[in-house]
Amino acid sequence: MTTAPEETPASDDIIVFKDVHKWFGSFHVLRGITTSVRRGEKVVIMGPSGSGKSTFIRAVNRLEEHQRGQIFVDGVEMTNDVRHIDAIRRDVGMVFQSFNLFPHLSVINNITLAPIKVRKLPRREAEQAARALLERVGIPEQAEKYPAELSGGQQQRVAIARALAMQPNVMLFDEPTSALDPEMIREVLDVMRELARSGMTMMIVTHEIGFAREAADRVIFMDEGTIVEEGPPKEFFINPKEERTKLFLHQILTH
Amino acid sequence: MAQTVNAPTLPPPPLSAGALGWARENLFGSRLSGALTLVSAAAIAVGLWFSLAWIFFSADWEVIVKLGGRFVIGQYNAETSCPGQNCFWRPQAGLLMATALLGVFWAITASVSVKRAAFAVALTSAAFAFLPYSLNEMGWDVRLLLLANVPALGAGWAIGRHTPLNTPSRAIIASVGAFLLTLLLLRGGFLGLEPVVVEKWGGLMLNILLALTGIVFSFPLGVGLALGRRSNLPVLKLLCVFFIEVMRGMPLITLLFMSQVLVPLAFPENFPLNSVTRAAIVIILFSAAYMAENVRGGLQSLHPGQAQASRALGLAAWQTTLFISLPQAIRNVIPALANQFIALFKDTSLVYIIAMLDIVQIGRAFIQGNTEYLLHARELFIFIAVVFWVFTYAMSYFSKRLETHLGVGQR
Amino acid sequence: MAQAPRVLTYQGIPVWRHVVIIQWTLQIVSAVLVVALVAWFFSNIANAIQDRNIPYGFDFLSRQYQTPIGEHFIPYEPSDTFGYALFVAATNTAIVAVVGVALATALGIAVGVARLSSNWLVARIAGAYVEFFRNVPLLIQLLFWFYIVLSLPPTRNTHVLFGRAYINNAGVSIPWPLPTGGGDLYSGGLAALAPYLWLASAAIAVAAGFVVHRILTRREIETGRASYPIISGTAAAVLIGAVGWVALMIVNGDAPFAISTPAPQGAFGRIAGGFTVRAGLFVLLIGLVIYTAAFIAEIVRAGIQSVRKGQLEAARALGLSPIGVLRLVTFPQALRVIVPPLISQCLNLTKNSSLGGAIGYSELTSVTITMTQTAPAISLFILIMASYLAMSLAWSLAGNLYNWRIGFKGA
Repeated sequence: MTTAPEETPASDDIIVFKDVHKWFGSFHVLRGITTSVRRGEKVVIMGPSGSGKSTFIRAVNRLEEHQRGQIFVDGVEMTNDVRHIDAIRRDVGMVFQSFNLFPHLSVINNITLAPIKVRKLPRREAEQAARALLERVGIPEQAEKYPAELSGGQQQRVAIARALAMQPNVMLFDEPTSALDPEMIREVLDVMRELARSGMTMMIVTHEIGFAREAADRVIFMDEGTIVEEGPPKEFFINPKEERTKLFLHQILTH
Repeated sequence: MAQTVNAPTLPPPPLSAGALGWARENLFGSRLSGALTLVSAAAIAVGLWFSLAWIFFSADWEVIVKLGGRFVIGQYNAETSCPGQNCFWRPQAGLLMATALLGVFWAITASVSVKRAAFAVALTSAAFAFLPYSLNEMGWDVRLLLLANVPALGAGWAIGRHTPLNTPSRAIIASVGAFLLTLLLLRGGFLGLEPVVVEKWGGLMLNILLALTGIVFSFPLGVGLALGRRSNLPVLKLLCVFFIEVMRGMPLITLLFMSQVLVPLAFPENFPLNSVTRAAIVIILFSAAYMAENVRGGLQSLHPGQAQASRALGLAAWQTTLFISLPQAIRNVIPALANQFIALFKDTSLVYIIAMLDIVQIGRAFIQGNTEYLLHARELFIFIAVVFWVFTYAMSYFSKRLETHLGVGQR
Repeated sequence: MAQAPRVLTYQGIPVWRHVVIIQWTLQIVSAVLVVALVAWFFSNIANAIQDRNIPYGFDFLSRQYQTPIGEHFIPYEPSDTFGYALFVAATNTAIVAVVGVALATALGIAVGVARLSSNWLVARIAGAYVEFFRNVPLLIQLLFWFYIVLSLPPTRNTHVLFGRAYINNAGVSIPWPLPTGGGDLYSGGLAALAPYLWLASAAIAVAAGFVVHRILTRREIETGRASYPIISGTAAAVLIGAVGWVALMIVNGDAPFAISTPAPQGAFGRIAGGFTVRAGLFVLLIGLVIYTAAFIAEIVRAGIQSVRKGQLEAARALGLSPIGVLRLVTFPQALRVIVPPLISQCLNLTKNSSLGGAIGYSELTSVTITMTQTAPAISLFILIMASYLAMSLAWSLAGNLYNWRIGFKGA
């Protein structure tokens, strides 16, 4: 069960799921997920609500604890070992549907909190990095404001900057645009596109088909806790093989 | 719509604007309202007439003058408490430190309300130095120390501006330090300072010290109890629930009295615990139980996503509690906590049950000992009531200001 | 990574890094610490009982108390037992609690509604009332009223109100209906029984009134014909009560109750007859009611303000009268917000009645404090704790009952 070298999967697979199961009480949410994500790959996960797609990506950094199977991130297995949990959480950034910015901290303090407390960076250095990140997500002028003074799109961009401040190798996005008004979705997706171009490994739960078509290397379709179908976006959107995929695509394209 | 383009701006109909309009709207809005206005105006007029007549002509405020400084420090400086030395400067030093710290906070926060509080304390203290000698026979040394509150405020401001004591957390630590130093100073017994037993502390000083002790120590204890009550370990949770509910179900006065009988039993024989310490312990425990319920309410109001985001960033559970959950929980319940502190301050008047001479008992003991003043007890208690009211009202005023001040960045 | 010795690993992970083990260890350690602290206190108490000969146990409950209790509403003699004396003290507390809560709620609702009055003057007076009485410690208010009553003339020069009521430093005496005939139920015959018979008929009358009200309300709703349920119900109740009264008068030759007017008697002018609220209870009730009403007023105001404006607009748009809006829309919704904090004020009033000892009213705490001189304090503490917790429970039960009723009618 430890991370002995021979168990470590091939090094270009940064995330590996091996037959992962999870139950909420007696409800079987994840029913044997086996897949892997290559370094630098952008994976979009789609599926109807309740299909387990959120639970799937939240299992990567143990916001949901899996009960069977194995998860590896960057060669480290997610076990009950605190050292492993800390290493993986430091390596994985996450962006939430409801932003989850800390309302009692200013934007700059939201971003520098984890680098200072976890990575023990000096405050000055952390702030410099934070300002550079704010520049990158396009809102350098909002550093001293509080989250409630920002629009939803700006908040989500701060949340992305906050996750990037820990210099992660993987970014998880749990429906990052679902809580946004249409005109703000664009500004968040632009930041995510830029991030994708920079070579970041990304796992994204989203319903944005346009974004998936354009930025994803692979689309995973989940239903009832299993991966029903996966493939490059072109194939997936134009030639889905499974009936359930066709039905789902038909529903979201014609609603 | 086309008509309105050229329509002139007309003045409002008569009697709908201005003072008359206001009166018409708010005092004589209906027949009933008009009658109520007349009746209550008459009542106020009669009440004011009799109150003013009483205050200026029939009331005899001599009893207040007679007690004078004893309201503030009780028997602390009496020959029996502090033989051979003049001890008045010790509480004065505590006051000076408090004023200076208010100056520090003013410099750090640059907040108008803190500035007002600081000036109110410094100027009120200094104003007492100008009371006529015939009234209270206050010596020049006492007066000088009172006046020193004004430069102390300036010094505090300069410290907050120009020294490393320039962040809120440092200033809070300094305040706790100054508070403990004040207690030590009042106690004496070192550097040639005559020891003054705690039983001799009294007056408003005792009320303030007990309230501050209660706030300083019950706050962390209350937070601990709240976290314990939310823990998922049954034994710990049960104990916390039991403690909180028993404390909240009993009157403080009963607990205070019982503390004198029972607390010594719960410690080994000869354990050094005087009656004031025992009372302080009970006040802390009592207040902590209420504090715990408030903090628990704040913790329950938090969105679970906050803790998840923090964990996802790699912060440990204790860091999440300390930096994310508690600050938000506490800020959400500031009004409740402020009410709790006000209640605590009012409750310090209950120490009469263990024969402590706080400001209320100073007055009461005087009336009981000098029955010729029996008919002037009302002057005395009105005075004490106003003193308490000024403090509690100031507390609720500043809590409201703090709430709006911290409301920035909150949805 | 160095391999840890096998004994120190769990699931192949060193135990000091295993999440589950860390959590359990932390929790168990904290629980053990708390339990150890509690156990230490208890063992100290046990040791004290043994080594210092501290009395304990509950045998004293059946001993004679041999001390008078200043005021009692059920028969009490000093030769009664400790247990019965405690019960008498508890009834004293309970009576203050029930009467006080009733009066404080009435006053509190009045002040709370007045605070929201559209009449500026009325709202301001109510606001000043709340801000002052809420922020001054209850003890000071009680002492103020206590010395006011104390400065009233003694009974032999009593003040007379309206020629029928008396107020003096021993209390207030008012006319009160007392049962005629009186005396022993067994030997007194019908004359002694008559008051009870009439009370029974009055109960029937009230019940009948409710039934009539209900039936007519239903008829009004179903048929749409005006049926005057309130007037008819009241009329039915009054009629049945009057018939009972007249019937008893004819059979017995005397009315079951007669108004007894108090009057000074004897050389010292002791007031006899009527109903006398003695000074201690009188002062305690005034103080508690005025103090608690200030808090209740705030609760009522918050409750009414919690009803969304749209609700009122919708109600007015439906054509309801202002009174109808208040009665049918505002109050039912506001009550849901008002009742929980109101219950906690009832609790506070009950607990605050423990200040009665300071002004000479023999409530539970003051009687218990006197008892500690002749009975084991530990046992008394357990009993008094149980009594107050029982009273808290009773109020909570009342609140829950109400909540259940509301839940029953749909959220």
